Amino acid sequence: MGLPDEQLRKLIDHIFISHQDGEMDCEMCSCQLECLAEKVAAGASLRDLLPEVEAHLRCCPDCREEWQALLCILRAERDGNLTTPQN
Amino acid sequence: MVDRTNEQWLADLTGTPDEQSPALEDLRERLQRGIYYYLSRERSDLSGLSSTEITQMAEDLAQDATLRVMENLGSFRGDSRFTTWATKIAVRVAISDLRRARYRDFSLDDLTADGDLMPSTTANSVTGTPEHGPEDQTERDDVMQKISAALKAALTERQYQALVAVALQDIPLEVVAERMGTNRNALYKLLHDARRKLRTYLETEGLSTNYMLDLFQD
Repeated sequence: MGLPDEQLRKLIDHIFISHQDGEMDCEMCSCQLECLAEKVAAGASLRDLLPEVEAHLRCCPDCREEWQALLCILRAERDGNLTTPQN
Repeated sequence: MVDRTNEQWLADLTGTPDEQSPALEDLRERLQRGIYYYLSRERSDLSGLSSTEITQMAEDLAQDATLRVMENLGSFRGDSRFTTWATKIAVRVAISDLRRARYRDFSLDDLTADGDLMPSTTANSVTGTPEHGPEDQTERDDVMQKISAALKAALTERQYQALVAVALQDIPLEVVAERMGTNRNALYKLLHDARRKLRTYLETEGLSTNYMLDLFQD
């Protein structure tokens, strides 16, 4: 039994389309995130600031998930939406 | 809650017990608010949990994150606000915990049980009819067979397993890395090398990146 067409296309996308990545790895990316997140939360474009990080985030689902979470918390903080949860 | 500069955060967190205790509590509360916001607003997979359960989860994760921040104080470089850096650590702690819980039963052995990665059908799985013209479809099928062959010919067993897990099964790198006895960064590099090897191999088979983009990017 083999994989359906759809999964092979996913693989092709992974190899050729989504993953034209550079040399930045997860650790190098992570070191930059807090500084970049503050600037992006203030309105800057990640691609303009550091395209290598933007390329890594496009390729790495784990780093992307963490980046998006950090950004959403910073934006909520900026907008005054972080409240203390009540038990 | 006291507003602190980066220097004040570091001084208080490493100061006397009287200085450290309120700073730790402020840090934990800040992290808890961020984690709670993320869990309650951004995680649709947790929508079945009650507000009390999310609150408890945020409290536990904030506690763990505070400890992690304290363990890593020496690596804060000061190129962002201290609280942003600490939030980055908290996000990592929270998401790692969620990943571990979600993929608790995942095993790499599950991935290769189906054997060869040959296309099982060339028809649209919903309509049962080809999605493209006959010539186009034949060309795509040929390419897919070459890719299936390339996966076996160009990759090591570890690269193959990792690629299938991450690219096809959408398993987080962190989870796959843990099962493989490595770390996420090393796994990312292994996948990076696997993709490069596959592209090189397929180039020699006459399948260039540009050709593939033209053929498969609808």
